[in-house]
Amino acid sequence: MKTKKIVSLILASMLAVSSFAACSTKPTDTQSSGGGEPAQTGDGKQIVDFTMFAAMAGKEKNEGNDIMELIAEKTGVRVKETWLTGQDAGEAIGSIIASGKLPDLIDGGDGSVTLYQNGLLVAWDDYLEKYPNLKEMYTDEEWDKFRMDDGHIYWANVFGNSYDHNTATGHNGEAFWIQVRVLEWANYPKIQTLDEYFKLLEDYAAANPELPDGTPVIPYTCLCEDWKYYCLENAPMFLDGYPNDGCVIVNIDNGMDNPKVVDYNTTDTAKMYFKKLNEEYAKGAIDPDFATQTYDEYIAKLSTGRVLGLCDQYWDFAYNIMGPFASPLEATDGTTFRLDEIGCDYVPLGLTAKAGMSQQWHSYDDELNQSSGCAVTTSCSDPDLAFAFLSALLDQDIHDLRFWGIEGVDYLVDDQGLYYRTEEMRENWKSDSYKAKHSCEYSYCPQWMGMSKDGINRMQPSEQPSEFYEGLSEPLKKCFSAYGAQTYSEFLGSEIVVNAPWYPLWSWSNNISSDTPGGIAWKRMGECKHLWLPTVVMSSDFESDWAAYQAAYAECDPQAFLDEAQQAVDERLATAKSYGWTAPV
Amino acid sequence: MADIVSFEKIKHKKKMATEDLIFTILNTTFLVLFAVVTLYPVLNTLAYSFNEGNDAVRGGIYLLPRKWSLRSYHEILFERPGIRVGAKVTVARTILGTLTSLAANALLSFILSRKKFLFKSGMSLFWIITMYASGGMIPVLVLFRYLHLTSSFWVYIIPGMVSAFNVMVMRTYMAGIPDSLEEAAQLEGAGYMRVFLSIISPLCKPVYATIALFVAVYHWNSWFDAMLYNRFDPQYTTLQYELMKLLDSVSATTGTTSGAQMSQAAAANTITPITVRAAATIATMAPIIALYPFLQRYFVTGLTIGGVKE
Amino acid sequence: MENSIVKSKRTKEVDINKPKLTAKEFKRQWILVAISAVYVIYGIIFYYLPLAGWIIAFQNFVFAKGIGGSKWVGIDKFKFLFSDKTFLMVIRNTFVMGVLNLFFSTVVAIAFAILLNEVKNKYFKKSIQTISYMPHFLSWIIVVAIVHDALTSTGIINDILMRLGIFKQPYAFLGDPKLFWGIVTLSHLWKETGWNAIIYLAAITSIDPCLYESASIDGAGRFQKMRYVTLPGLRPTIMILLLMNMGNVLNAGFELQYLLGNGLVQNVSRTIDIYILDWALDARNMDYSLGTAAGIFKTVVSMTFIVVSNYIAKKKGDERLF
Repeated sequence: MKTKKIVSLILASMLAVSSFAACSTKPTDTQSSGGGEPAQTGDGKQIVDFTMFAAMAGKEKNEGNDIMELIAEKTGVRVKETWLTGQDAGEAIGSIIASGKLPDLIDGGDGSVTLYQNGLLVAWDDYLEKYPNLKEMYTDEEWDKFRMDDGHIYWANVFGNSYDHNTATGHNGEAFWIQVRVLEWANYPKIQTLDEYFKLLEDYAAANPELPDGTPVIPYTCLCEDWKYYCLENAPMFLDGYPNDGCVIVNIDNGMDNPKVVDYNTTDTAKMYFKKLNEEYAKGAIDPDFATQTYDEYIAKLSTGRVLGLCDQYWDFAYNIMGPFASPLEATDGTTFRLDEIGCDYVPLGLTAKAGMSQQWHSYDDELNQSSGCAVTTSCSDPDLAFAFLSALLDQDIHDLRFWGIEGVDYLVDDQGLYYRTEEMRENWKSDSYKAKHSCEYSYCPQWMGMSKDGINRMQPSEQPSEFYEGLSEPLKKCFSAYGAQTYSEFLGSEIVVNAPWYPLWSWSNNISSDTPGGIAWKRMGECKHLWLPTVVMSSDFESDWAAYQAAYAECDPQAFLDEAQQAVDERLATAKSYGWTAPV
Repeated sequence: MADIVSFEKIKHKKKMATEDLIFTILNTTFLVLFAVVTLYPVLNTLAYSFNEGNDAVRGGIYLLPRKWSLRSYHEILFERPGIRVGAKVTVARTILGTLTSLAANALLSFILSRKKFLFKSGMSLFWIITMYASGGMIPVLVLFRYLHLTSSFWVYIIPGMVSAFNVMVMRTYMAGIPDSLEEAAQLEGAGYMRVFLSIISPLCKPVYATIALFVAVYHWNSWFDAMLYNRFDPQYTTLQYELMKLLDSVSATTGTTSGAQMSQAAAANTITPITVRAAATIATMAPIIALYPFLQRYFVTGLTIGGVKE
Repeated sequence: MENSIVKSKRTKEVDINKPKLTAKEFKRQWILVAISAVYVIYGIIFYYLPLAGWIIAFQNFVFAKGIGGSKWVGIDKFKFLFSDKTFLMVIRNTFVMGVLNLFFSTVVAIAFAILLNEVKNKYFKKSIQTISYMPHFLSWIIVVAIVHDALTSTGIINDILMRLGIFKQPYAFLGDPKLFWGIVTLSHLWKETGWNAIIYLAAITSIDPCLYESASIDGAGRFQKMRYVTLPGLRPTIMILLLMNMGNVLNAGFELQYLLGNGLVQNVSRTIDIYILDWALDARNMDYSLGTAAGIFKTVVSMTFIVVSNYIAKKKGDERLF
């Protein structure tokens, strides 16, 4: 009898016991930062461990990463980076705030404003004066764009910021891309319009219906998934010769100081473009699955080399197909071949609505996005050290360590002081596992693009002309020389213009929230276009479906959005003027 | 007369035998088809996991890898910094969590299945509500912070210990056990706890096995709690959280980030080969599948349990 | 016949056993009551205390200000939700997909469990069952990739239909709004049937073997045994699971619909959770209050379903939750 009672009591008190256990576990706040195993820097200082959270997808570095340790020795700081997993930025930031445990450094992404509103960030202002490396990143005018409504700066965007001048070799933006073998087959013609582009794709597909391994070609495909439907949606803006403001055309026919916002969804060019796609779809030149494919399927399709042409931004597809394009495949006749060697690499075409127009598919200047960036939190035990660290990351030697690696291991230097890499070194830096244990970019901390401070090299290898050229496949080199170009941007041949003060307007529209009529209209317009644009392309009666689309679109009240866009343009123009900007003659 | 009756009987029996045979054939065919259709995604994943990464991106892999490679397994098992810590924590929470949870759920189910229990309806409703009403992520986080459950291993064990769903399943099973057994034991002087431990529990093996499986799978697969409560405490990471960090490439949830602001480096960084995704899936499934046969005997043996007789 | 006996027995039991709160009874049950008290304390701490957070649905909640300092906005957040006709559309989608899923997953899982139970060969039975629940461990990303693969213009489904001459041209299954709910339901069935059947298989073991024996003696065939012994034996389990899952119809999902949907089918694919993510939880200005309001809405609807169906179950003398 007694044992029964005891057993039952044990069972009953199980919950209680375990909750006591929880209470007795002492909180480990003591080591929020500066924990970990104490290590010494070269001059006897202790290395401080910081944590950093970036509200983006990313890869964690291994413990004891080679270059991370080298940087730690030089700066006295080691940063453990954590990335977004299975949440979106807002959710992640919210849960970090609620859990009460913040990292020392943070890039809140879309949740940056939430962090600011909750008073969790340290203002940069004083530290900018103290650390010239940081101050140097932007001009006063640019820094002012980062100021929040309390007049302080809380973060700095670290991307696309060129030292000295923009030295981009690639074209990271949008274009109608075409495989070089198609151009080579047609003896490198000049392609300027949609009609010429699709004619060439069709002709080539008719003459060469299969790849050497027997895969049938697809003349053209287009991604429409979620926010990446820009691939389908915003070409009319470019076709009319305007730059990538992203949400509207800003017409400057009445002069730069009298800009007028225009909706590119209702222009004649828009109708012409979608009518063309509709015709091509009917002819079977467009991938029948274009409207329903997922990003993974899209990449898989491109990776087989079977897609001859597409419209997209470079970064969205190019990095993912490099590996497959460089691996050997077996042809139907038993020989092996590589897709990049047979000319499946893509080059950008700057198409326009009519032949002979100038176009701005490529933007030669940096694009400043002030909506998020690298920040130091109020939980950081030593903000001054954090800023000193961010500043040190911009010292040329440390910057080289971050992006070029260790001299002799990751790159070599010739007698002119020019950095170069062997094929093996290049391959190493393409391998995720090698990078996890060896390289340490601190990719969401301040960094430069453009010219190195040594005046010879580039800040990052991707922009080093020799590196860039070495990395090109033979057909690509041939194609470039046939058109007399050295780089993608030269090949594309966009008009060289100085960015307008409001450019790029997508940095405004990306951050519009659904609190205002314009914001609500923007969301509705997006939903409407997601439904109707693929519908009109696949329609068997284009005219009537186009009319129905335009009617549905008008119901979304696009004018409310355009008004707010106009206001944003005017405000940005006014700010620029207050800094002495004048319209170029 | 008699002849006719027995003839009828034989006819009936024969008819039943043919019926039986047809049924068995149809049933077997159906189940085999079902198994094939279900097995396919698993085999497909398996094939991908053993394929070389760059090659797999091109798609078109079905039941066998095109280019064999163990690279993906190597990457997830040996190249992740947190994987060992994560594995230890996961094993610990799976064992401890399953045992505590099973005990806690079983005891509550026992109480709720007592037909004479005074507060039966009230207690049931009290727990049913917990299934549907949730304060949301943020209030829970704040509460755990005050209970010192964040930055702690116990957050994996204590909060989820009682699950109304599991309790209801167990309760239903226990309610099906004839009262006569309990009454007989009580006549012999056994208390409630004695009835629970020596009469009810031995008869509940099938349902205990089921719930243990559910709870173990839950613990084995958990990663969201590791991220939410122990985001900056790598010593409490879990296996699945480490894998999720590896896998969560350009997934659904990052849709709001503007592509244009991604640096080239970042864009190139975030792609996880589908082969690694596949390998991680297989690595997750394998231990559970290995565990299953041990539990399975409790509920596939079917009609052999003798104790439940009135 | 069996059915009616079980039913009448149960009704009788309910009458006899109705407990009365007397001091004597309380003393007899003291151990049960004491343990229950521990459970109640636990439940209050971990489940009921966070419900206090519901209060922020009536505020414009900002962390820095806390609940005390945030502005009260009354039922504005609920008004926002119901003022939008898109919200009503997503409620419809969520509800329909929830009900379809609940109905078919229950029926198919039961059917599968019963059919499997009829298999005599132990090894065959074990293998089929082990295989059947494996897809449960695949993530939706993988399952959606396979579903997509099968349904594209060059996928196996189009391939078969064209070879059979039913279609002349490949059909865009994934772009047809009429087919979306069906595809979602089938995907669920594919992934979860085996897993869902585990509970039913366990429940079948609790059926008294005597019932089968006496049914055989009465000359019942296989189908009759399934119909009059197995199914009634499963009835309590079926009822309990059905009742509990009634509360989940509005949790019809996020991931599957999100991954499987596209612009063409958005009017039937978006669920409440997707709507909230799109419209309310604007990452740039995280509206926790609106998210909470939507959570409250879902809870209220779920509880209503539960209470109503529990009431019906009670009326009919079936197994019930409380």
